[in-house]
Parts: sequence; C-alpha cells; structure tokens
Amino acid sequence: MAKQNINRREFLKLTAVGVAVAAGTHAVSTKASSGAPKGKHQWAMVIDQSKCTGCNYCTLACQAHNDVNPEIQWNKVLEDGKVGDMQVYVPRPCMHCEKAPCVEVCPVKASYYRDDGIVMMDYDRCIGCRYCQIACPYNARSFNWEKFTGDNPAVPEWGNPEVERRPRGVPEKCSFCYQRIDRGLSLGLIPGVDADATPACVVICPTGARMFGDLNDPESNVSKALHENPSYRLRENLGTGPRVYYIPAVPAKEA
Amino acid sequence: MLNNLRSKFLTPWTVWLGVMGIILLSGAISGIMVFWKGLGITNLTDRVPWGLWITIDLSSIALGAGAFSLCAGVYLFGLKRFQPIARTATFVGLIGYTMATLALILDIGKPERFWHSMIYWNVHSLLWEVTMCVILYLTVLLLEAMPIIANLEWLRKRLPRIAAMMEHVHHYAPILAIIGLGLSSLHQSSLGATYGVIKARPFWFKPEMSVLFMFSAIVGGISLTLFATMLSARLTRKAKINDVLIERVAQFVGYLLIGYFYFRAWDALATTYTYDPGRSEGLHFLTKGPFAFNFWIVEMLFGMIVPMILLLYKPTRINRFSRMLALFLVAVGVVAFRWDTNITGQLVLMPYIADQAITYTNYRPSLIEILAGAAIIAYGCTAFSLGVKYLRVVDHTLIEEEHEKVHVKVTEPATL
Repeated sequence: MAKQNINRREFLKLTAVGVAVAAGTHAVSTKASSGAPKGKHQWAMVIDQSKCTGCNYCTLACQAHNDVNPEIQWNKVLEDGKVGDMQVYVPRPCMHCEKAPCVEVCPVKASYYRDDGIVMMDYDRCIGCRYCQIACPYNARSFNWEKFTGDNPAVPEWGNPEVERRPRGVPEKCSFCYQRIDRGLSLGLIPGVDADATPACVVICPTGARMFGDLNDPESNVSKALHENPSYRLRENLGTGPRVYYIPAVPAKEA
Repeated sequence: MLNNLRSKFLTPWTVWLGVMGIILLSGAISGIMVFWKGLGITNLTDRVPWGLWITIDLSSIALGAGAFSLCAGVYLFGLKRFQPIARTATFVGLIGYTMATLALILDIGKPERFWHSMIYWNVHSLLWEVTMCVILYLTVLLLEAMPIIANLEWLRKRLPRIAAMMEHVHHYAPILAIIGLGLSSLHQSSLGATYGVIKARPFWFKPEMSVLFMFSAIVGGISLTLFATMLSARLTRKAKINDVLIERVAQFVGYLLIGYFYFRAWDALATTYTYDPGRSEGLHFLTKGPFAFNFWIVEMLFGMIVPMILLLYKPTRINRFSRMLALFLVAVGVVAFRWDTNITGQLVLMPYIADQAITYTNYRPSLIEILAGAAIIAYGCTAFSLGVKYLRVVDHTLIEEEHEKVHVKVTEPATL
C-alpha cells in the first residue's frame, strides 16, 4: 500500500511536469505565431467614405469575380448615418485582421495568415464548425448553407469567375482577391496600381472611393492616403488590427 | 389468444422500446435528410450558427461529468464505498459523450472531415482542445466501461476470456481516473472558454465562463447519475440500490449547489456593474427579456434554490420522491444554463459601425433540428435502460474485484 501511494504521487508529479512542459511549449509557440507574419508586402485597403455613393458595384463585381452565391455578400455596403444631406456608407469587406479572431479560433487551421497579411481560408480543410463566424467581430463570414448551383446572375455583366465555387458546408469570405494579386505579381504588375492585379471591388468603384496597396511601400496610394487623411478602423478597441481603413466623410468621426 | 399475445408483448418494457424506437427512427430520417440536403434545412443562420444541437452537445458533455468527478472521488480521494455509483456515472458519461459526438457530427458542415481536428492542430483554438480532449476522454470512458460491458450475459457465456480481459481493465481504474480528471478539467472548462474568449461578443467575453461551465457540469453530472439510478430502481428490480450511498452523495450535491448558486448569481450581478455595450444588453435579455423565465425560474429557482433546500433539509432528502425531484431539477437547470448562454450571446448583435444601435435577432429550431435532437436524447435513454437491464449498470450489490494490489517485497527491517 505504501509503495502504491508513492507510485501514485510520482505519477501525479510526472503529470504535473508533463503539463508544465506542454504549457511551456504552448507559450513558446504562441509567441512565435501570434498575429499575422510580416512579409515583404502588407496589403491594405482604404475606403474614402466621402466618395462612396452606395452604388453596390463593388458587391456585384466581387460576386462575379469570386463566383459568390447571390445570397452571400463578401463585401456588404451598409448605411451609416448622414453628414448634412449626404447619406454616408460603410462598405465592409473582410478586415484581414492582423490578429484575426477567426484564425485564432479555427480548430483545424483552415483559416490562416499569409505573410502578406491576407487572412485566407482553406476550403478543403474546413470542417464547417462555424466557430469563426461566432468569433468574427465584423460578420464578414457567410456559411454555405446550401450548394450554390446554377448561373451566377452577376456573370458576365460584372466580370468573370476567377476562383472555384466553395462547397456546401463551409463558411466563405473576402480574400482581397488574392488570385488577382498573385497572378498580377507573377506578371510583374503592381497591386493597387495595375487593374489586373487589384481587387475587383477597387477596380470597379466608379467614384474611386476604394484604394488598395502595400503599407510597406511609403509611396503606395494607401500609405499616402493614410498619411494625408484622418482615418479609422472598425471596432478598433478590440485590438484585431484591421487592414481596412476608412477615411471618414467628416473629420473626427469616432472610431 | 389475443389477450395472451397482448400480455406477452405489451409489457412496459416493449412499450418503452417502441416509443424510443419511433423517436429514433424519425431522428434517423432527419439525420439522413441533413446529410443529404445540408444544414440549409435547419433554422440556423449566419447570425445564429450554433443552435439546438450545440446546446445538446454542451448539455450531454456537462451531464456526463458525473463520470470523472465520481471516479476521482472513488479512486483518487479514497471514497471507495461510492464505487457502485461511480460505475453508473461512468456508463452515463459514456452515453453522454457519444451523444455529444452524434450532435457534433450532425452539426458540422463537413461531417466527413471530422478527423481533420486530429491531423491539423491549431493549439490556439479552444475548440481544437475540446475536440482532442473529448476524443481522448471518450477512449478513457470506453476503457472504464469495459468491466461494465463485460457483464453482458452473452459475452460471459460465449467469449469468457474476452469478458475476463475486459473485466481486468478495472485494475487500471485509478490511473484512468487520473487521466479522466485531467482531460475533463481541461475540456469542461474549455467549453466555457470557447465562449469566454470571444471578444466580439461582450456578453460571453469573461474569464469566469470556464469556471461556471466546469462547476455546473460537476453539479449537473452527479445529479443526473443519481437521478437515473433512483429512477431505474423505481422502475425495475434489475436495479439494486443502496439508498444510503445515494443520499450521502445527494447531500454533497446540496452543498455544491450553494457554491454554484453563489457563483452564478455573483456572475450575473457583477455583470450589471460593468456597462459594456452588448454585455448589459445580453444581461437584460437574460434577466428581463425573452430568457427571463429560463433564467429566474428554471435556472435559479428550480435549478438551484429549490433543490438546494430539498437536498440539505434532512426530511426532504430522506424522502425518495423529493430527492429524485431535486436531482432532476438540477440537471434541467444546467441544461437551461447551457441553452441560455449559447443562444443569448448570439441573439444580441453587436454593431461594427460606430454609434449604431445594438440589434437583436431570433432563433427557433426547425422541426428537423428538434426531431434529430430528440433522437439523440432518445438514444441516450435507450442505451441507459439497456445498460440497466443487461449490464447491471445500476447494481450496488455488485462488488468488483479490488484493483491491483501492489505486492511489497518484505525486506529486512532496517537496523540502525
């Protein structure tokens, strides 16, 4: 009996050591992968609310280029009060957060950071648990409750599909048109400058309210716009670090 | 002739199995529909992606917590005489965790990829941790239940050696209890943390979520085990109980309820002091809005206060009916807690545009969700009743072999 007690105690000790080691490795790995890795490019979007007229072209172009179910909007245009007589809008793509709750909570790493800051979805890995939807502060994710079959009403008027349709049973979201960026870069184009390398919503915008570019490049239009104008981000207090910036229609609009 | 047949086949047992069979069948059809047509046929939306099935999943894991708490009590804290209750709890736990697995398989969009969580690890994700712990703990429960399953007459007669081997697993009960305690402490609290870490939803975002989930699971899990034990004893002679044991554990539940009540009340009251957009609205929704009945009556009054009194006041504790009632109420209260927490947090919609008002949505499970959910519960009830009938799950007269005695070599006494 005495021997057994010692054994049990030793077992508990071993368990404690094991837990400590596991916690230690966890702490190290947390440090290593907290937030998005910083690569050569850091893509960001700037939306000038004084120019946005709420025409929804961005949403339609997005639905065409990314072959999105008409019931789903990766980029949603919302109303946001009035300035004087002018209606103000908030177009909301995915924020591609620097510390994205969706990436942190995904049990299978189906949501992940690219080193250029884009928050990506691996639709082949996702199990469809929808924890990312629960965690996203911006409702940027839509679940494929049904399979999207049939024609896409936005095609070809607003563009042609460049990516595969997502299967039933996974959530989907804006990807900053990564396919256009990657293809553009391989052709030597500059995203944000050359239309073929720039997200479809930015290209289509008739008033030029949307800008896209590299925050690492001080000469990019987004860097300049952010340098010259006051800007805010959505739910900044959460510390998610969105990569979508808004230039308010009136100065000093509270973030 | 007809009367003869009727009395032969129309026993309470066959009626019970028949009713359960109908529920299981309709649930199976609903389940097939879900796999075939997808989650579009549920009432889940992008605003409320976690509904009835997640609540069933949370509840069955919570109510399965009697297994680890009682096994820890019996094998680690030396309360050996409660071993027969721990046996029942282990079986209830096994059922609870398989119910949770069923609910999850129904609920995820890509059920055929359920194994991805074992291959692709995201150690940051609470849900990953929960999934891993549940899978591992289900394995522990299966091992712990081996000696129980070995009680099957058929197995004993046909495959006596295998039955003996299964029974032998009992020797490892203390080790299994340690592993079970570790895994359960992890995932029971992590299930609360699954909600507790969601910064986007202030109603959930608080550290005490994990403690509340853990505490309520222990209280609810033990209660359900005791209730199921007493109910079987009422219904069949197959269940043999030692009422003194149950009464003692029930008293312990009574004391636990004081702690649980204090903590849940403190949690709700403390929330009123921190005005945080979304959090106060959530609390309002819970205490004055559509969930007020659930919160005040089902959770607080009948889930904690009434059973607390019934279990701590000796005459009502001795009385089997009021004791059973109290234990049942505790379990219901814990389920209500899971439902209220899961749904309330989703119904309060946080605006992401500054200065915009908080909005609300609603959710009511669809018929398919209800039928499939009922079938999961029916599966649990059927499995337990079969266990009582064929595996002596509730049998306090059954004395299992002592777990391994360590033979200490006799050595010369040390001489100084």
